[in-house]
Amino acid sequence: MLVGGDANAAAAEAGKYGADKLFAAGGDELAVYNSELYGTALAAFCRAQSPDVLLMGSTAMGKDLGPKTAAKLGCACVSDAVGLKFDGAWEVRRPVFAGKCFTDVTWSTATAVVGIRPNAFVMAEKAGSATVENFDAGTAGVTSKAVVKSVAASSGGTVELTEAEIVVSGGRGIKGPENYELIEKLAASLGAAAGASRAIVDAGWVEYSHQVGQTGKTVGPNLYIACGISGAIQHLAGMSSSKCIVAINKDAAAPIFKVADYGVVADLFDIVPALTDEVGKIRS
Amino acid sequence: MKIAVCVKQVPDSETRINLAAPAAQLDESGFTRVLNPYDAYAVEEAIKIKEAGGEVEVTAITAGPAAVKETLKKDCLAVGCDKAVIITDPELIGADEMALATAMAAVIKRDGYDLVLTGIKAIDNDSGQLGVLLAEQLDMAHVSTVTKLDLGDGNLTAEREIEGGKEIVEASLPAVLTCQKGLNEPRLPSLPNIMKAGMKPMEEVSCADLGIEVPASLVTVKLYSPPHARGECKLIDAEDPAAAARELARLLNEEAKVI
Ligand SMILES: Cc1cc2nc3c(=O)[nH]c(=O)nc-3n(C[C@H](O)[C@H](O)[C@H](O)COP(=O)(O)OP(=O)(O)OC[C@H]3O[C@@H](n4cnc5c(N)ncnc54)[C@H](O)[C@@H]3O)c2cc1C
Repeated sequence: MLVGGDANAAAAEAGKYGADKLFAAGGDELAVYNSELYGTALAAFCRAQSPDVLLMGSTAMGKDLGPKTAAKLGCACVSDAVGLKFDGAWEVRRPVFAGKCFTDVTWSTATAVVGIRPNAFVMAEKAGSATVENFDAGTAGVTSKAVVKSVAASSGGTVELTEAEIVVSGGRGIKGPENYELIEKLAASLGAAAGASRAIVDAGWVEYSHQVGQTGKTVGPNLYIACGISGAIQHLAGMSSSKCIVAINKDAAAPIFKVADYGVVADLFDIVPALTDEVGKIRS
Repeated sequence: MKIAVCVKQVPDSETRINLAAPAAQLDESGFTRVLNPYDAYAVEEAIKIKEAGGEVEVTAITAGPAAVKETLKKDCLAVGCDKAVIITDPELIGADEMALATAMAAVIKRDGYDLVLTGIKAIDNDSGQLGVLLAEQLDMAHVSTVTKLDLGDGNLTAEREIEGGKEIVEASLPAVLTCQKGLNEPRLPSLPNIMKAGMKPMEEVSCADLGIEVPASLVTVKLYSPPHARGECKLIDAEDPAAAARELARLLNEEAKVI
């Protein structure tokens, strides 16, 4: 089910991933995200189609739209699913305490809204033959008490941290804001997002949007490279579900090595630029 | 203007979860509990609005056991909230956010508020739903993940963080906002203010007092399990940095197959 300005085209795109039925609710009033209008559309859709689960991404939009829709339906709402299972009843696995442990949850309502953590499931293209059906969501006359007036892109990196397949993060070991460039260059060579420990966010070296950890973003990429990060529990909480972890730190006793798959005990100023070159060679 | 700040007491971010095998419950005995760090931004924003002048009253609302009083006193009342309301029904401890929102909405409806502030999420269950659920239940406007706020007369303009940028949102009052890091720098309570906070009113209410049934959780936790154990760390000889970088790149490419 796709809600948006040019919903039909985007819904057809979703068909490539194996959906059996496709619905689209379009219209000028839906061109820009609006919690009230989108929530109204999805609630109407759920009432009409009675899905067991309404899945959406746990993105900035999904985290706003999920509870909005659930509240309209009075149904269960689960955020950040990393596993989804059905054997007679639905069960969702999700991290709590920023990944220090996981919970398996169930619910008691006929429909549940479930947010999917970006990157947690593999996308596989399948041949799909479903055609898009228009769904009249009844949003035409709906007014909203909150309206998006404008959208501005931030100056930060081009790859979104929580959606990135590779994340390269820098910590206090980079010594000064001018050296964050080393992290960004390695990230660029890998097509990765650039992350940071809270220490360098609080120091004002990089923006908060880069912070990984319990009070920043939780990431679970295929590869996480921690450069000059000690591995405090709050940092580990945000990244320890990464599939492969590399630690570059000159202190062999740093806790980051306890979660790392590969470690280099050395000065990051020597290793990071050399690694950037090596990655360049492999990529070309 | 009346401002409600919905807060939660959570295990400190230093907390280690000791879970050797999957279990139906967490052993919470060693947990130190503090104000949810994101709720601190909500408290601070409310106090800043109060300090900016005019007739403003700030109420902290929470649900929880008697132990929440210490957090309310130190981190809410001592920094400038005027009073606190605790919803005491034991069924709400560990309840899902739909249940918490229903109970808190009953207090907010009873007392009437122009602005409701809360953190973007609580760092224990990480769900981040409360603010939006409250707004819908209260039929108020909402803006989530707010990093900047300008209050007008009967309306507000807020900056909201999204992937790779921000949205500027205009909303009418009354409204619910969920507060994100960057909005402000929460102040610390002073010792004399902590002493004085003991004099401020702290009301304990039950759902029955509020005229509602104790709301049931729709989502239940069946099992807690520890994260996957990680293998040994393979240390790469770093005698020669260039060779170490080459070997690391090779391992990531050929062995781990991640680049
Ligand atoms: C409530 C709360 C919430 C928090 N939330 C978060 C969070 O979300 N995310 C987070 O990251 N932190 C968080 N923290 C902070 C956390 O406790 C640590 O202070 C922080 O993660 C440390 O950052 P760091 O590893 O960059 O710095 P440090 O701990 O100072 O570590 C720097 C590391 O760099 C290494 N190093 C130095 N020079 C070099 C060099 N030339 N080459 C290689 N290595 C070098 C050192 O050996 C050291 O291990 C939180 C703390 C609190 C209290």
